[in-house]
Amino acid sequence: MAGDAPLLEVRDLACHFFTLDGVVRAVDGVSLSLARGETLGIVGESGCGKSVTALSILRLIQKGAGRIVGGSVRFEGRELTTLSDEEIKELRGHRISMIFQEPMTSLNPVLTVGVQIAENVVRHTGAGWREAMDRAVEMLRLVRVPDPERRVHDYPHQLSGGMRQRVMIAIALSCDPQLLIADEPTTALDVTIQAQILELMVELKEKTGTAIMMITHDLGVVAETCQRVMVMYAGRKVEEAPVGELFANPLHPYTRGLMRARPRLDEDAEGSGRRPRLQEIPGIVPALNRPIAGCAFAPRCALATDRCRAERPELEERPGGHLVACFEAGKGVP
Amino acid sequence: MPSSIPASGTEAPAAEAPPQGPWTFARRNPTIVIGGLLMLVLVGIALAAPWIAGDPLKLAPVNRLRPPSERFWFGTDQFGRDVYARTVHGARVSLVVGFSVAIAASLIGLAIGLLCGFYRTVDAIAMRIMDGIMAIPSILLAIALITLTRPGLWVVIAAIVIPEIPRIVRLTRSVVLSLRAQPFIEAAIAGGTRTPRLLLRHILPNTLAPLIVQSTYIAASAILTEAGLSFLGVGVPPEIPSWGNIIAQGRSFFLIAPWSILIPGVFLAVMVLGVNMLGDGLRDRLDPRLARRM
Repeated sequence: MAGDAPLLEVRDLACHFFTLDGVVRAVDGVSLSLARGETLGIVGESGCGKSVTALSILRLIQKGAGRIVGGSVRFEGRELTTLSDEEIKELRGHRISMIFQEPMTSLNPVLTVGVQIAENVVRHTGAGWREAMDRAVEMLRLVRVPDPERRVHDYPHQLSGGMRQRVMIAIALSCDPQLLIADEPTTALDVTIQAQILELMVELKEKTGTAIMMITHDLGVVAETCQRVMVMYAGRKVEEAPVGELFANPLHPYTRGLMRARPRLDEDAEGSGRRPRLQEIPGIVPALNRPIAGCAFAPRCALATDRCRAERPELEERPGGHLVACFEAGKGVP
Repeated sequence: MPSSIPASGTEAPAAEAPPQGPWTFARRNPTIVIGGLLMLVLVGIALAAPWIAGDPLKLAPVNRLRPPSERFWFGTDQFGRDVYARTVHGARVSLVVGFSVAIAASLIGLAIGLLCGFYRTVDAIAMRIMDGIMAIPSILLAIALITLTRPGLWVVIAAIVIPEIPRIVRLTRSVVLSLRAQPFIEAAIAGGTRTPRLLLRHILPNTLAPLIVQSTYIAASAILTEAGLSFLGVGVPPEIPSWGNIIAQGRSFFLIAPWSILIPGVFLAVMVLGVNMLGDGLRDRLDPRLARRM
């Protein structure tokens, strides 16, 4: 395979849901690419299409509810949108793995964690059960579950949330995937455990060379783990930049709003002992079931002009590997 | 070897089952123990029937309609047959019918229910058939099925199984539908699990607890239905004593010989009570959520 061909290349992906209230354009023309071993963060509010983008890549959108209506997904040079069901199942959990948000409920309560790890190994590598159980112990050790020889026989209810998320990571990495999609992997965990899990993921990524697509609404997570960040709004990409560049120089008013909406410890400029109030972004995400004229963010944007309301801004390249879709990019207070 | 102190400091304590003697178990689960003991005694009686009781079919016109005595513990019927021997042997029919119906209906219903919960097309067709079966009162459906064939124990069992299947299908289907939305099933699908394995290893074991509970109720209702069918004369053939046909035959002599219908009636009530208590206890223990819902 060509050395600099991206591992994953998504082009103009569109995934629509057909509901009684009309067509919901959950993902509407998203492009992204991911190199081998790279970590890409996807951030945005709830309902902006982050998870649907991820699920679409693995074709996990429930049939009958939604459908990929356009675009292409190329992974290791293969087009995923046209693979047969059997071929895509072969890929899932093997070349591309996924970690979900809810560690408390993402493990089957009636199977031991060892069986759940080994099952994936047996399914995708053709190893025997005995071998696979050895692999399960090895994986539990890798994700630092203490006493893995004993834990491998535990049921999920015997483990804490943090331990279960470690097990989920063990399952996801058990077949050495090239791409790991983590859909808000730390949202359900408390802060100290979040830090441990993120640290573990970064460390394992360095050890195994797996590329990670980190879906989150937490800019802190992005800052700690990602190399590149993509900001989504209303089913579209609005900004993309290397992580340092994005935090130093956010251009899209939405990205700036997200940054202002984070609690910070250092903004105590007047020494008054009081931190400024958090600034929320006014309004809510627009309904996606009718066409949006102009920029989807315009109704909530302080900088919006008549042009923003009439015409949709396309992604433009800026210096520093920065892409942004906004007519007023970089204007106003940062 | 990792130290015994967990790396993360969040480890749940090792979940060792606390030592639990039979006495503690009995105190916490009185219904399971009482129901279980009742069933054990009745199963024991049924198994030992040929040794603890005489011939249930032996006619002795000399001894007809004798009240309970030392020789005939439960008295005799209008043909002089020993009601004790007949009742003890009748337990066999009730238990065989109860267990067979529960097992057969559960297995068939489970298979259909799993497919219904998983495949929309199967669901659309199979559930309409189930609606159709449920629209007919089960005893009438059973009578119709029996009259189509020759009477016999297995025909009776089949005739009771068919009307019971929809109950299991509906239960299994509803559990499968709610399981399908569970993240761990989505996770299994995202891991590339093939459909047969997904159904058998991931979904099926999670449906067993409510299914076991439901099948005990089906056993109880099957025992009653069999007695009802035998009472109506379409159940097991008259040469096999069953509580239903003992009562049916004794009813014309009720005023002279009440024991010939009271005693099998009491046994029937006790057996159904035992099965239901066992089911209630299992329900409380296996599925506390279901207990609140039902």
